Amino acid sequence: MLEINSVSKSFGGFQALDRTDFDVKIGEVHALLGENGAGKSTLMNVACGLYAPDSGTLKVNNRLTTFNGPQDAAAEGIGMVHQHFKLVASFSVLENIMLFFNPDSSYGKSKEIVASKAKTLAKDLGFFIDLESRAGSLSIADQQKVEILKVLIAGAQIIILDEPTAVLSENEGANLMRLIRKLATAGTAIILVTHKIREALDHCDRITVMRSGKKVHEVLPNNVDGASLTKLIVGENIISTTQYSSNKSDIPLIQFKGITVLDERGRKSLSRASFQVCSGEIYGIAGVGGNGQNELAAAIMGLKKPIEGNIEITGIGDVTLDTAIKRRRDGISSIPVDRYLHGLAGKQTVLENYSIAAAMRGELGSWLQFNKNLAKSKVKEAIIKFDVQGVNNINQRASLLSGGNAQKLVIAREFSGKPKIILAHSPSRGLDVRAGAAVHDRLRAARNDGAAVILISEDLDEILLMSDRIGVLNRGQISAEFDAPATRSDIGQAMVSHA
Amino acid sequence: MLRKFTEKNNAIMSDTNYPSDKKRDFQIIPRLEVRQNSPEWLRFLIYTISLLVGCVCAVLVMYWVGINPADLIQEISILLFSGTRTIGAILAQTAPLMIAGLATAVAFRANFWNVGLEGQMIVGTIFATFIAIHDVGPDSVRLVLMAVAAMLGGIIWIAPAGFLKLKLGINEVITTLLLNYIAFNLLLHLLFGAWKDPVSGFPHSAQFDLVERLPKLGWENLTYALPLAVFLVLLVWWILSFSRVGYLLSFVSSNPTMAKAVGAPVLGLSITAIIMSGAIGGLTGFAIASGLEFRMTRDFFSGFLFSGVLIAFLGRNHPIGVGIVALFMAILVLLGQSLQVFYQVPFALIQLIQAIFIICVAASEFFLTYRMHWRN
Repeated sequence: MLEINSVSKSFGGFQALDRTDFDVKIGEVHALLGENGAGKSTLMNVACGLYAPDSGTLKVNNRLTTFNGPQDAAAEGIGMVHQHFKLVASFSVLENIMLFFNPDSSYGKSKEIVASKAKTLAKDLGFFIDLESRAGSLSIADQQKVEILKVLIAGAQIIILDEPTAVLSENEGANLMRLIRKLATAGTAIILVTHKIREALDHCDRITVMRSGKKVHEVLPNNVDGASLTKLIVGENIISTTQYSSNKSDIPLIQFKGITVLDERGRKSLSRASFQVCSGEIYGIAGVGGNGQNELAAAIMGLKKPIEGNIEITGIGDVTLDTAIKRRRDGISSIPVDRYLHGLAGKQTVLENYSIAAAMRGELGSWLQFNKNLAKSKVKEAIIKFDVQGVNNINQRASLLSGGNAQKLVIAREFSGKPKIILAHSPSRGLDVRAGAAVHDRLRAARNDGAAVILISEDLDEILLMSDRIGVLNRGQISAEFDAPATRSDIGQAMVSHA
Repeated sequence: MLRKFTEKNNAIMSDTNYPSDKKRDFQIIPRLEVRQNSPEWLRFLIYTISLLVGCVCAVLVMYWVGINPADLIQEISILLFSGTRTIGAILAQTAPLMIAGLATAVAFRANFWNVGLEGQMIVGTIFATFIAIHDVGPDSVRLVLMAVAAMLGGIIWIAPAGFLKLKLGINEVITTLLLNYIAFNLLLHLLFGAWKDPVSGFPHSAQFDLVERLPKLGWENLTYALPLAVFLVLLVWWILSFSRVGYLLSFVSSNPTMAKAVGAPVLGLSITAIIMSGAIGGLTGFAIASGLEFRMTRDFFSGFLFSGVLIAFLGRNHPIGVGIVALFMAILVLLGQSLQVFYQVPFALIQLIQAIFIICVAASEFFLTYRMHWRN
């Protein structure tokens, strides 16, 4: 149905795609696997008309074609759900969909049609989204749902999903996979760009693996297992094993005593949550998304003030109402969940993004000074130490870094102040196997150096792999605690129980 | 239902005219592609080209109203090369424009659209004039007192807009703009009333005493307004480019959420930038009243709001850029004045030309964002 032949594309001097072939057939779910920077997103951007290939051809329904933009691709029935959402924050969900798809010339009629379609589709998907709420006020997961709705409503015949489940909970992800299968059976071609090997093996009909801009393998899911697929993607073996703490202290370093935090709508998303974390341990917080994770993270960082309860740090005392600056001085640092919103300023340079923490600590001069030379030497050191790749120039924009390297830059900065307490919120989300393992190694190293690590993650595998102790966040409370090694089913039960 | 979508889409597809397989080499409408990054040299090149295009358009517009390009060149060369007097006039004009551009640029750096520059100039000058008229303080520090009073006036006039923006999220474009009118009427109230010139009875303040004027430089008619402007440019340059304040301020405008998350005092930085903008705005008025006109007139401020935004915009909100653009703007203003006198062109034409430059530079942003493919 869609056939890409020998497509090349380079940016500046960087060859993102090198004579890549790809195709997808009617009724097929085709997985596209590869590391960050392997060229998956570039290839898909060529397919949906965002990038013009330097050479090579595109065929839709056996006809050669060229796209002058996404609208041409859309006219050919190709729709893409991007990894970084393309929503207008100040528009309502309905308006965002209508920006993309307008079935009738009358605005009112169009609105009715789209609204009814959106409602039916959302119901089929098991999504619940208020069509009138502003897109900017939605959580990441909900924004993703709107993106998927958008393409589905426009009735695309070839749907490209760029890591769609990365931001969905397990339940929502499973629902989406079911829907994808339903769509494929109805005659749609689906391309699924993903990092999750399990997803490719369990839900796809064909798997293509890319490495450094080239298609390296095409396999059928029945013919491979997870380990060999990982090897195909990375080109080498990466085995993650649990490594528990050896120098865990018994005295809690930070204690949360019944804290309640309100979300944007004034609901008690975090409700009297209590737990404590000692130095030298990784405390994993498991839970289905939307059970208070964001509010907990905001409270730890001092971005939201709890309306009741206390946060205490041993040796400092009650820090409940401290600001973000004070929190940092107390030795807390954070790897935020949305690295392009809270972690980095994409328009600023790598140098600037890295140096902000040191500047705040006053290491780069007083308020009236900014020692750029010192900052330069520090960032160069950090780039090597934390293996941040893709930095051709420390004055390049941070938004040019791939997900894994952007995360490494955030970690390099956050670890630069020798933090005592580290908050890591879904630190390996959207990262490939290799980058995810590198992030995990950093967290373990920090723990082994005596830091208290709070790991909030909706990915149970990550929690089980990393944590020395596990708390389950359910309806805004730590409803159960487990010492590692804990069994998957026990935690899973605690995550969904309504007791 | 899903089946229905697919069918509908099929219907759309069959109606569409597909490009034939025959290869076309060029297309009239280029294919656009978002750039991954834009190197410095490209920025510079595109910016230069856009200014050149602006120049060409400006010359064409003048030709259209009957000014020969040859005459235009003659006028420009008279202005620039006929001796030190015109140069002095240009530099005298540059000083307040520089400060005005600076005031606007500083606020832009904090994502604050200060379009209340004229109001801040007026209130700043009223404060300074109060000091002058009532002979507050000893003669030796009178001028310093006037400058401080002018800054205070500017700050007082920007503060309500800043407060409303930061506390309640009210758009500053509306508030700063409306405050201009209040300030203007306050000015008229004073000039037609208590502060009317006792000598002539005209609606402007009494002339400032010698100690209340910025001293002369001793070259042409220039006063210390120019060194003051240059000093401010350097000071702001240092604050924005070489201090932690400026460094953190860049995050406040590019990603305030992230700045807050890493503990930068976003609110404090915004307030600092807004106060700086107001204070410099007040000084603009002071530089004119005390360095150019030696009294508070009825319309000393007029046009500075637009010029300030223009200069800040063309100078890319960079203090040095602001300084350079202000110089060119002064040349343009004087050129406009002589064209007005000798060719009877309306002043609106000069504003039209300024607007042409703004549009050209604004359009250059498009070429930085997109790469165009003319080949198929």
